Amino acid sequence: MKKVLSVLLAITLLALGLTACGSAGSDLEYVQDKGTLVVGITDFAPMDYQDADGNWIGFDADMAKAFAEELGVKVQFQIIEWDNKAFELEGKTIDVVWNGMTLTDKVKAAMDCSNPYCNNQQIVIVKADVADQYQTKESVKDLKFAVEDSSAGQEQAVLLGAKNVTPVLDQATALNEVKAGTADAAIIDSLMAGAMVGEGTGYADLTYTVGLNDEMYGVGFRKGSDLVEKLNDFFKKTYADGTMMRIAEQYGVQASIIEQK
Amino acid sequence: MFITVINALNEGFLQTLKLFAVTLVGALPLGLVISFGSMCRFGPLRWLTRTLVWIVRGTPLMLQLIVIFYVPGFILPQNPWAVTDGRFWAAAVAFILNYACYFSEIFRGGVQGVPVGQQEAGQVLGMTRSQIFFKVTLLQMIKRIVPPMSNEIITLVKDTAIARMIAWQELIYAGYAFLKGSHGLAGLYWPLLFTGLYYLLFNGLLTLLFGWMEKKMSYFRS
Repeated sequence: MKKVLSVLLAITLLALGLTACGSAGSDLEYVQDKGTLVVGITDFAPMDYQDADGNWIGFDADMAKAFAEELGVKVQFQIIEWDNKAFELEGKTIDVVWNGMTLTDKVKAAMDCSNPYCNNQQIVIVKADVADQYQTKESVKDLKFAVEDSSAGQEQAVLLGAKNVTPVLDQATALNEVKAGTADAAIIDSLMAGAMVGEGTGYADLTYTVGLNDEMYGVGFRKGSDLVEKLNDFFKKTYADGTMMRIAEQYGVQASIIEQK
Repeated sequence: MFITVINALNEGFLQTLKLFAVTLVGALPLGLVISFGSMCRFGPLRWLTRTLVWIVRGTPLMLQLIVIFYVPGFILPQNPWAVTDGRFWAAAVAFILNYACYFSEIFRGGVQGVPVGQQEAGQVLGMTRSQIFFKVTLLQMIKRIVPPMSNEIITLVKDTAIARMIAWQELIYAGYAFLKGSHGLAGLYWPLLFTGLYYLLFNGLLTLLFGWMEKKMSYFRS
């Protein structure tokens, strides 16, 4: 038992050291052989979320279903811990990360990504009653920030020159820190802010102010996967025939969709 | 809204209970086996078992979960856990191994704490070695280990929350989901806080059970 464990540990270290090397064989064949495409998601409206009957819907979820159909396999949605997404891919417990993922340098280093398909922005969230004072980058710089660990929001906080930044578990926790008063401001995705912040939401006393950047969403695969090319072709095809836009309109994200050519 | 949340929390609590029960059922016998190993008179086996206990108790359960669940997929062409309920069984294996090692030390302390005179008395009465173990030592050991075991078992109830590390959706996960947005609700605090009530009630039941067991066994006055 001990030997097994030490061998496992040694191999872990080895595997971590060799993340750069690609896997042998075709990822497409691997997925088609087992007959399911396992899609790694979190509960994230309007990209991946559950309807009243517990079915996964959303712009990303519907596109993933269509892509799996194109490959001739079944689709399976698997909730993951966002911090572990690269682990989940390389450990083959999922086949793709398709969950409104911002293409940051960190993400692009950890996995092979599709062409960008959706525009997004990192924006600052503050309490609504003080929002008037914080409409410029200069004015928010010295606030106490909460951001999702290893997120695009965290990168923007660094670029902004903010000195007091606390990395937390996820974007919702960052919002929660602002609501609880343990942080002055959070930095999260604008698409998420549109759905979660402001009147009529669970965070009615929060609002968004200044946008910090422009960025794009992409889909992540294992390193060296031939599914990347397959998905890029699929994006081109569905953009050209209008399928992509039709699905986008269904979830109100049509204004953010990027032309695929 | 209340009904939706309670249904989701109940579902999470069921998963917590499932992991708790499977861990207990697996770790109790395995712990006994490991405790025999660490008391074995054959040196290499004793040394091997104690090293295993050292490794398992010396590293975080969180790390063990990650190694057990993800690493097979790094080495093999297909991850054996990538099946329905694979996350649960990976978590169960990690928890059983972890808790068996802790249990084994409690068992060892219990067995070694039974006075030698008790075994000698058994020999005088002409009992065989296995009779002495099961009818004298084990019986008295069980009484002695109830308080430390109740500690570990209550800790286990709460430790199941660590399984969310590999996205196993237990009670804390279910409560937390309403903060992030789930079932069309978002930004709700109280479901997460409400999960505390489940743990509290369940551990209250366990405490009563252990108290009852202690009383039941009070006729051994050793």
